Amino acid sequence: MPERPEREVRRGRKGRKKVCGFCVDRAEFIDYKDVAKLRRFISERGKILPRRVTGTCARHQRALTVAIKRARHLALLPYTSD
Amino acid sequence: MAEGKNLYETVIVTSAKLGEEGSAALVEKFKALISEHGTVQNVDDWGKRRFAYPINKQTEGYYTLINFESNPEFTAELDRRYQITDGIMRTLIVKRDPRHIVEPKPQKVQKTEEGGIDVEAIAVEAVEAEAGE
Repeated sequence: MPERPEREVRRGRKGRKKVCGFCVDRAEFIDYKDVAKLRRFISERGKILPRRVTGTCARHQRALTVAIKRARHLALLPYTSD
Repeated sequence: MAEGKNLYETVIVTSAKLGEEGSAALVEKFKALISEHGTVQNVDDWGKRRFAYPINKQTEGYYTLINFESNPEFTAELDRRYQITDGIMRTLIVKRDPRHIVEPKPQKVQKTEEGGIDVEAIAVEAVEAEAGE
């Protein structure tokens, strides 16, 4: 049987596990009006940041995506910059 | 809550070309329309805001948020009216989940009986989640 790499070793590279900010806040839903908060989850170019970058859990990432798209529609957030 | 009725939230973005009065008049018209088919619960005027990107070569608009209660059929009619009204740049109609509206006063929830149970349940959940990790 091939030796399994140890979990701790794999984690060792970049250190700590990211925690979903919305889970910490117990957020039930994500408000498209909260532009300041949503801005933290888009790149400088206006793209939605992937989960692997922000550490958002799957459920909240889905809700976040909807919120960002609503905000974009109302021109509260950019679709793109430049 | 009356049966068959839902809570909605709508945002109207009107052109800055209308000026403050023109925009207010337009919003007033829609408030009247909503009142005919339901009840307006709250109006929040965000004032003039700069767009994140130009819309029809304009860079600013007046934002108004209206919370209302109505039949689900009315949203289609409201949207139709939005589309045929000049001076409206963008609109959004979303349904509000009553479970999410408690938000503004989380402390008060703890005092009610049902709320007390809920808070406890959440706390237990949190402990379990921590233990799991």
